[in-house]
Amino acid sequence: MNINRLLAQHEFSRARPDLWSRRDFLKTASAATLAALAAGSPRSLWAAPEATAKLTPTADRVIILWMAGGMAHTETFDPKRFTPYSAGLDPNAVLCTFPSIPTAVEGVRFSEGLENLAQVMDRGTLIRGMQAADLGFILHSRHQYHWHTGYVPPQTVAAPHIGAWIARTLGPLDSAMPAFINVGQRFDLGEAEELKAFTTAGFLGSEYGPFNISFAEQAADAVRPPAGMSAGRFANREKIYRRLLEASPIGQEGSSYQQESLLRSLDNAHRLLGSPAAKAFDITLEPEESIRRYFPGYVPGVRFDAPKDRLGAKYEEGMVGRFGLGCLLARRLCESGARFIEVTTEYIPFLNWDTHENGHSRLVGMKRMIDAPIAQLVRDLEERGMLDRTLIVLASEFSRDMMVEGKPDKGVKDQVIVPDVINDPKFYGMHRHFTAAGNVLLFGGGMKRGYVHGVTADERPCRTIKDPVVLEDLHATIYRALGIPPDHHYEIEKRPFYVTSDGKGRAVEALFQNPNPGSRARS
Amino acid sequence: MEPKHFYPAVAVLCVLGTGTIAMVRASLSSEQQTQLPPPALGQVDFVRDIKPIFEVSCVQCHARGKAKGSFSLETREDFLEGGETGTPAVAGKSAESLVVELISGLDPENIMPKKGKKLNAEQVAVFRAWIDQGMPWPKEIAFIRHEPANLRPRELADMPVATAFAANPIDGFVDAYFKPHGITWPALVDDRTYARRVWLDVVGLLPPTKELMEFLEDSAPDKRGRLVQRLLTDRRGYADHWITFWNDMLRNDYKAPGGRKQITDWLYPALADNLPYDRFVAELIDPSPDSEGFTNGIVWRGTVNASMQPPIQAAQNVAQVFLGVNLKCASCHDSFINEYTLADAYGLAGVYASGPLEIAECDKPTGRFGKVKFLYESLGTIDADADRGQRKKQLAEIMTSRKNGRLSRTIVNRFWQRFMGRGLVEPVDEMDKPAWSPEVMDWLAEDLVAHGYDLKHTIARILTSRAYQLPGVSPGENESQFVFHGPRVRRLDAEQFVDAIMALTGVEYPAEAAKVNRSAALSSGAAAALPLAPRWIWDNPGAVERTKAGTVTFTREVELAAAPTEAYITLAADNSFDLRINGKKIGAKSSRSNTGTNQYEVTDKLQAGRNTITVIATNEAIDDKERATEALQALKTYGTLDTSAGLILYARIRAPGQVMDFVSDAAWQSEAEGPAPVASAELGGVDLAAWNLGQGFLRFAASTPDRSGGQRASAVLGNPLLVALGRPNREQVVTVRADLATTLQALELANGSTFAAMLRRGAEKLMTDAPSEPERFVSQLYRHALGRDPTAPEATLAVELVGRPASREGVEDLLWVVAMLPEFQLIR
Repeated sequence: MNINRLLAQHEFSRARPDLWSRRDFLKTASAATLAALAAGSPRSLWAAPEATAKLTPTADRVIILWMAGGMAHTETFDPKRFTPYSAGLDPNAVLCTFPSIPTAVEGVRFSEGLENLAQVMDRGTLIRGMQAADLGFILHSRHQYHWHTGYVPPQTVAAPHIGAWIARTLGPLDSAMPAFINVGQRFDLGEAEELKAFTTAGFLGSEYGPFNISFAEQAADAVRPPAGMSAGRFANREKIYRRLLEASPIGQEGSSYQQESLLRSLDNAHRLLGSPAAKAFDITLEPEESIRRYFPGYVPGVRFDAPKDRLGAKYEEGMVGRFGLGCLLARRLCESGARFIEVTTEYIPFLNWDTHENGHSRLVGMKRMIDAPIAQLVRDLEERGMLDRTLIVLASEFSRDMMVEGKPDKGVKDQVIVPDVINDPKFYGMHRHFTAAGNVLLFGGGMKRGYVHGVTADERPCRTIKDPVVLEDLHATIYRALGIPPDHHYEIEKRPFYVTSDGKGRAVEALFQNPNPGSRARS
Repeated sequence: MEPKHFYPAVAVLCVLGTGTIAMVRASLSSEQQTQLPPPALGQVDFVRDIKPIFEVSCVQCHARGKAKGSFSLETREDFLEGGETGTPAVAGKSAESLVVELISGLDPENIMPKKGKKLNAEQVAVFRAWIDQGMPWPKEIAFIRHEPANLRPRELADMPVATAFAANPIDGFVDAYFKPHGITWPALVDDRTYARRVWLDVVGLLPPTKELMEFLEDSAPDKRGRLVQRLLTDRRGYADHWITFWNDMLRNDYKAPGGRKQITDWLYPALADNLPYDRFVAELIDPSPDSEGFTNGIVWRGTVNASMQPPIQAAQNVAQVFLGVNLKCASCHDSFINEYTLADAYGLAGVYASGPLEIAECDKPTGRFGKVKFLYESLGTIDADADRGQRKKQLAEIMTSRKNGRLSRTIVNRFWQRFMGRGLVEPVDEMDKPAWSPEVMDWLAEDLVAHGYDLKHTIARILTSRAYQLPGVSPGENESQFVFHGPRVRRLDAEQFVDAIMALTGVEYPAEAAKVNRSAALSSGAAAALPLAPRWIWDNPGAVERTKAGTVTFTREVELAAAPTEAYITLAADNSFDLRINGKKIGAKSSRSNTGTNQYEVTDKLQAGRNTITVIATNEAIDDKERATEALQALKTYGTLDTSAGLILYARIRAPGQVMDFVSDAAWQSEAEGPAPVASAELGGVDLAAWNLGQGFLRFAASTPDRSGGQRASAVLGNPLLVALGRPNREQVVTVRADLATTLQALELANGSTFAAMLRRGAEKLMTDAPSEPERFVSQLYRHALGRDPTAPEATLAVELVGRPASREGVEDLLWVVAMLPEFQLIR
């Protein structure tokens, strides 16, 4: 069934629920009785949009590029004085382990290894004063929970992921597409239960939860019949199901609320599996040269689901293409009507951005992992005329530093031992967790082009000295771009729960091409 | 029907709490005074004119136990006394009265109410008139906290039951409810529907075909009651099913965020033993090491918001789970959704705090300290000066005392909700609200108490009531005007669904996450029969505190009078062990964080005569980088990375007429690397605080591993299928799961790999076990899955799918089809 017809039917049924009897539901395979049903059951194909319309949106969709594990600002988008490695180095002297490079914007420099991103900085807005929450003794997943939900655990009610908030409030752009798609994270490695605790729709209900795809190259499996089942068999199974359902003597007895919710949900699932949108999940449908722009080493049939310790200290380099394919998948999903996509470099304790040792050499791999594909994603969206309405947000839970743990002067307990003198390259890198500055790189979606917001100190501690941005304001900015006010809320246990903590986030208007003149900046 | 009891004690107490930020007193200028609306003309009537203003705009913060700025208007006296900013009003002088200034809104910096509906000019005028007329206020009107519903016990004797309903008084009260609602009793459900309901409700499983047939053929009039009784005697089925409900409520999981402590070792036996509910609650509120995980809370790491400190979590969870009270809002500020205050939350939290708890309002310290107290002081007091252990004991006593009618009402309401799809009070965590039938509520609760808090007794009461046997009702319509007509149609929960699939196919889970030793749990009393007491040992007595890293070899020679017919070695070691008998390796385990108990059957490893038992135990130093912090801490505190070490072992060795048990004790030789062997040092018994294994270890040692198979979904970690079907991650207390289908869930069922693999394994198993004739296979599946034979058209379609001869794919697909039928997934 084509999507337009589906939508037309959907709209029609919303307008005239009385025309659709409950029995007809099965036969028409439409979301027919939806308007007659109370909230909370699956509506439309995915959650139906909820009008907020107080703000004029500047973006239709969001891609979060998640730098999991703590991306050091001084090693990426805010380089400081470079000190090359030599035996006998005083760690206090080291602010940067890479030289800096120029970008397309005069006066703005990035760290070496980000040459492709440097070339597209003229389309970007860079926040240099991101302030991670002050949570004392550092736990990555706890900061990640905070970043993704706006709330610090533990919480008395399950806080929804930002993707779920958006799914609940705006629904998908294409009714066959899941509204919240999460790419690149596995949930059976370190801190898995903690990751699960925030990768959820929480109290909003699982209808708005993440559609998890751990491996972009295998994304098509998520919308295909199960392994080993042909399309014909899958369709036949469904056909016999429908017939047995009609033949069931119990089925004839009329309907119940649960029965309808059950059947509708199955309909929706099968509709996605059979929809044109499902093709977007299959990256192999992309021309090979276009895949190589995201992953130069791509060979058809590549898989990244080998055991995590396969590559040892070279792990990051071995994973270079994985995130790239995630970026490609994100682009394809955007083209097919996705609303919210997160692509992560993947959080695994002590791997990827979580550098507790060998920080310098691991970052060589990390930069290769992200540099070309993100730049390509920006270019592709621009080429397709979609960048203006797509907000790309590259972010991390906090930054890193060689000496300072947590917020300077707070005396947060160290988790990494730094020797007085560096005599081994494994100690050369930003190994401590730093929360007093951080980078967020934004593209498109109404943000300024070639703009840098905030300044950090050039000497340790390299903390924010101008225009800090706190998380609820970053969230408010993302929501504002989508037209969602920061105090938008839903009720749980009779209490309002807001998209930004207590509804108090304030969009950073200075980041927008057209700042809202009426808004007050945070003092 | 409001309860008539008041309890002013609460009001008095809350007035004591004072805010730190005093409002700035800035009198209106005479010019401003002229801008005030003039006093209304005519006689003001308090009830007609003033009370509604108070109720809409004032009482949320200044009455019913709350006194913002120390200002309360619960009574006229309270009102006149004023708060921090002084006297609110002087009779006859409305223009100069503080309260008029505040409600007028003329000074935007000083305006009342801060929250809620501001007064309009007309209301200000009326208010002025009231002040000018001397503030008349009838004595009987007070804005005090009402005693909530469902709190007081009732005497069963005061609730007479018509003889017609003597068999199950619930129905008498339901009948009395039906009459004014114009409902006549419909025919009760048939035997198949009933059997499916009670099997799923008591043990969480579909009725096995053979047993269902026997039940259907039984013509005895009391067969339904007997079925319920029989199912309730299945201790294992009961515990395997109900542990899910309690895991959700008590936030217990087998692996979970936040460094929580599992209580499975306590919970499973408690369910298997049907521990009386008052003791069950007491053991959670005033816990042993095995059950303390519930009140310990979940802290993640680092600093926690004041409203989520572990003692406050304990207060929230004790109140929610056992009293049906939401203290979540009141943990941060006086609640806007109910009448509970910060003082209430901190009062209860104080029981669990190590010292005085400073009250923080919205995470800002107030300088005030919580006074330890129970939520309902009329039910009992807690001695604030007593030590924490005593306070917990006192709280447990108050909670389980006969005076606390709420404990029993909360749990019977939860059971009613589970079996009927909707509570007597709904939502089930708002127990302050009256039940739709206070009689059913009171009677069921008092009946539970009268029967020694036997939860199975209450389950039987409900399941044998005619109310439960009414036809299923579709929910979702007119919730605001709810009228009970019968149980709602429910949906299989995640565990029931997966267990049903497993049972249909005969496939078992490969491994369980909850290391429940069922036989230990189910063989109650056996531990007491163990003749010996094992001791924690190491090569030096200081090991209980800390000892150097390294390996110690423990050896014991035993002479057995006969070859054993039953021999089990149960042991635990910090950090790891390698068990050998006569040089042969039996097993090894390394556990860094949790010292777990392990058991090995060694019946054929031991011989008559001399045997050598060797345990090579290792104490690991903290050298792992994941524990870098711990290492730093240890170095700082002790100047060493050494940790505590110990080994404990019970060998239960039996032959007919022979008890040949031995245990870890000083009789074992221990040999560290280097020094000569020495007699082992005894560090202490099973209760030694360093490891806290306690009775659980002995129960384990006394048990025989359960080989009956049939592992249950309740005992595995959440996988994508279970999670999609609604299994919570247990970060929060969950008292009711959502049971509506979602699209993500349907996707997981349509093509998720977990379910697909389950069906494939199931089909493979069925292909080897089931009849090859497709017709017979189809009817077998229908009988077990749906409790009935397929109709002819159904059989034709199903056989078409299965193929002739049946193919693995066909069987797999039919399993899926049947599992997706509403008839399968719903409990009608």
